[in-house]
Amino acid sequence: MSKILVHIATSEGKIKRSSLEVMSYCKTLADKNSMTLEAVVLDPDPAKYTDQLNTYGPDKVYQVKHPIFKNHLNAAVIEALSKVIDQSGPRLCAFASTESAKEVIGALAARHDAAAIPDVAGFTINNGSVDAERPVMAAKVLSKTSSSSELVLVSVRSGSYDLAENPGNAETVAVDFDFDESGLRAVLKEVLSSAGDKVDLSEAEVVVAAGRGIKDENGRKLVEELAETLGAAIGASRAVTESGLFPATLQIGQTGKVVSPQLYFAIGISGAIQHVAGMANSKVIVAINKDPDAPIFQYATYGLVGDLFKILPPLTEELRKIKGA
Amino acid sequence: MKFSVCIKQVPDVSAPISIKDGTLTQDSDRMVLDAYSASAVEEALVLIDKHGGEVQVVLVGPEKAKETIRKALAMGAASGVHIVVDDVSGLDSGAYAEILAAWHKKSDYDIILTGKQSQDTDAGLTGGMLAWKLELPYAANAVGLTYDNEGGKLTVTRQGDSGQEMIELTSPCLVTCSNDMNEPRIPSLKGIMQSKRKKVETLQLGDLGLDPDTLSSKTSKTKGQGYKEVPGREPGKKLEGDPEELVTELVGLLENEAKVL
Ligand SMILES: Cc1cc2nc3c(=O)[nH]c(=O)nc-3n(C[C@H](O)[C@H](O)[C@H](O)COP(=O)(O)OP(=O)(O)OC[C@H]3O[C@@H](n4cnc5c(N)ncnc54)[C@H](O)[C@@H]3O)c2cc1C
Repeated sequence: MSKILVHIATSEGKIKRSSLEVMSYCKTLADKNSMTLEAVVLDPDPAKYTDQLNTYGPDKVYQVKHPIFKNHLNAAVIEALSKVIDQSGPRLCAFASTESAKEVIGALAARHDAAAIPDVAGFTINNGSVDAERPVMAAKVLSKTSSSSELVLVSVRSGSYDLAENPGNAETVAVDFDFDESGLRAVLKEVLSSAGDKVDLSEAEVVVAAGRGIKDENGRKLVEELAETLGAAIGASRAVTESGLFPATLQIGQTGKVVSPQLYFAIGISGAIQHVAGMANSKVIVAINKDPDAPIFQYATYGLVGDLFKILPPLTEELRKIKGA
Repeated sequence: MKFSVCIKQVPDVSAPISIKDGTLTQDSDRMVLDAYSASAVEEALVLIDKHGGEVQVVLVGPEKAKETIRKALAMGAASGVHIVVDDVSGLDSGAYAEILAAWHKKSDYDIILTGKQSQDTDAGLTGGMLAWKLELPYAANAVGLTYDNEGGKLTVTRQGDSGQEMIELTSPCLVTCSNDMNEPRIPSLKGIMQSKRKKVETLQLGDLGLDPDTLSSKTSKTKGQGYKEVPGREPGKKLEGDPEELVTELVGLLENEAKVL
């Protein structure tokens, strides 16, 4: 029958975990609905991902090779994906909900007269209808959204599905892709990265997130020490990225990133709905807050009522002993 | 330089909500200017302060949404366009984009700004769809904007997956704005008084050659099928005591109960 096409997001030469989550789930979905599973990689060197992709069992992999894909530029991504969508003719095109995917899905849907259901927490196919659930109203409720369009684009929040290997041997297709940058009215000038970008936040197994309670450089240091001890990625609330203590890339929440680690530390974070929207799917949540009534305690697996400046030093020391052992 | 800022009226998401038989009810029917839209208005105002020009706001929504246009006018926008749609419940992002595209095709602008998403649906599709329909270069999730008068170039700093990307757009162009871009001003009393005299053009869908039934039945390619609760979390443990005790207890739990260390 028809096809599912999965866009593969890569970073630093690796496939993003969130894309593999989407692949894992789409493999199940494809098998259940007797559909073919295809994947598309846009990269300066797309062939290097084939082995890893084969672990997740696609029937076919489209490789679009071009140096422009070293960085994200929406016009190039749209052009390339459009070409592959035309070539493949999928019923469903699935993305991991990255910032790059979010930037192109609307335009891509408009271009193909397709439906788009972004940032879903889950989806399935029933009798030709794509049925999804997505958080709305600052993630306070789930909206059930469906589409029977001929082509439906879906982007999936990270952590919505588990990884499941399903080894296979895909046919690879090299897609001809010329891209003329000369006429572009949108030009990428520069990519500014900051020190905090080292560990990919949305992929991290452990996240240590800082809130306004960390106050200053001193609090920041305590957070960094804890994160380093745990090999964790650092995240932050909006109050903290606004103050400049941590870079904006690290913001978690409705405006920022969605994370779903095994372990999340909320340190001096009150738990505003807009923050919780980005971290409520974490498996274990530890909250440290001096206000016993802080809303974050409603979500915490373990809530520590107390002063973070007194709790973090012995916590880091204790964890160092365990990790060092 | 003429800015056209697409703004949205949204329910106050901080008000308690409940779901009964798949329908959403809110304790308060308070409607507000969407925070992302507000940042788009603010950014346009900052840029015209520097470079000269004018800000027009455009809103698709029911009669009641006029108050939201007034709010943007009170912030400092020069004029408003109200495309009246009494019942927006059947419209998805595609339909909003179709309406906004129809309006912009017959209006003048250099730069269109929209929110990067809206506080109620968080979909983030309308801006990109609109850009495509108008064949405009665009950038999404902007956290900073600078304008170069001479070349007519707009430099957008957008928050990407890792780090920030600086994109130079040639106008006419479209940018979707993050609320991390600025702190929207609170309208002054003078602003509020002045807003009452500012012009708001009111249009019906028919004026744009659009048909409400087609917009909800055909242009909207996605259908809402009701709401459900977010699966709740297991109740947790709250630990109180002196720091050393708390730490010992927590580490024990993480190791032996949660098994995440
Ligand atoms: C449209 C919109 C989108 C938004 N998007 C986001 C988003 O993506 N991410 C986000 O985080 N926010 C977002 N916000 C902002 C959000 O509403 C909150 O303002 C923000 O999350 C608050 O950050 P905070 O918890 O760090 O600060 P606060 O709410 O000020 O909380 C600080 C906490 O620290 C505690 N504390 C202080 N000192 C100590 C101490 N010594 N020891 C222990 N605890 C201490 C206090 O008890 C308090 O609970 C958004 C808002 C809007 C309107």
